[in-house]
Amino acid sequence: MGFIRLVVFGFIGLTVIYFSVSLYSRSVRKERLENEFDAENPGGDRAARSAYVAEGMQAYDKSIRPKLIGLVYVVPTVVIGTIVYMINAN
Amino acid sequence: MRRVRMGFRVLLFVIVGSLMHYALPQHDVVRVLNTYEERQDLNDWTRIFWARPDDQSADLINRDVQFIQTVKKRTWLLGFIQREGTEVMVYRNEDTGWSWPFYFKFDTANLKTEADDIISTEADPQWAVITHYGWRNPYLSAFPNAISIRPVDSPNPTIIPWFNIFFFIFLIAAILFLRAAWRQFRERSVDPLLDAAGDQYDEVQAGVAERRGRITRWLDTWRAKDKRKSPPD
Repeated sequence: MGFIRLVVFGFIGLTVIYFSVSLYSRSVRKERLENEFDAENPGGDRAARSAYVAEGMQAYDKSIRPKLIGLVYVVPTVVIGTIVYMINAN
Repeated sequence: MRRVRMGFRVLLFVIVGSLMHYALPQHDVVRVLNTYEERQDLNDWTRIFWARPDDQSADLINRDVQFIQTVKKRTWLLGFIQREGTEVMVYRNEDTGWSWPFYFKFDTANLKTEADDIISTEADPQWAVITHYGWRNPYLSAFPNAISIRPVDSPNPTIIPWFNIFFFIFLIAAILFLRAAWRQFRERSVDPLLDAAGDQYDEVQAGVAERRGRITRWLDTWRAKDKRKSPPD
């Protein structure tokens, strides 16, 4: 039971962290794309700007970065596994 | 108000600091004298100083707990600086299982055996490094929980607290991330909303002023020309 409790609450906690990190990462990327467009086209029209940003975000979704955020689940699991082994091994 | 805020910060620091001092691993240099097992009553608030090895133990009002009796090298400043002399220290030896604090210790019986194996006398001491968490408090019958023990050659070994190093690096990274995420959220989500709300408020104000102007002008048409407030259109 203790193990199940740890897994369930750990999963919930890590999911909260996962979504926070994803949202933050997307937001930072979006801001950068907007700033890039504004720097290159001062006074550029809004449609071109949103098209540029949408294209950039699509490229972001395909890149490796959002997949790396999945490590939020992997790393704690590996760390806990290592601790369990190291504490109890002779 | 500033004093209240200051007091609140001090309180938060003390609580978080105590919690970390209780739960993070510390290392002692000890010489093992003996191990024993004793029935413990667990049905009052000092229950928080005992572990919860498994689920059935949560409801027990008493059970047997193992202990390790040692002579310990005196230290100060969180154990970083060694002092001359020794003192006695008794550790409890309990599984923590899968629950708080998260040491995932299941090898209590093995640890007792390892401790028994290095029992030594003052004349021919075998020093060992014991990793533990928790506090010794005789008035509350609280004992630190021994996590692991390893024999060392000298009474002054070099101890590097790897876990704590990584823990604090991670803690600082987490705080920096939270701060950055909060700023990003404010900049991108809250401030535009506030700006939009401000703009809307300005528009409403302008609309009210304009309407009032129209009504005034209409009223004016009923007044005599020399008494009108606004100039004619």
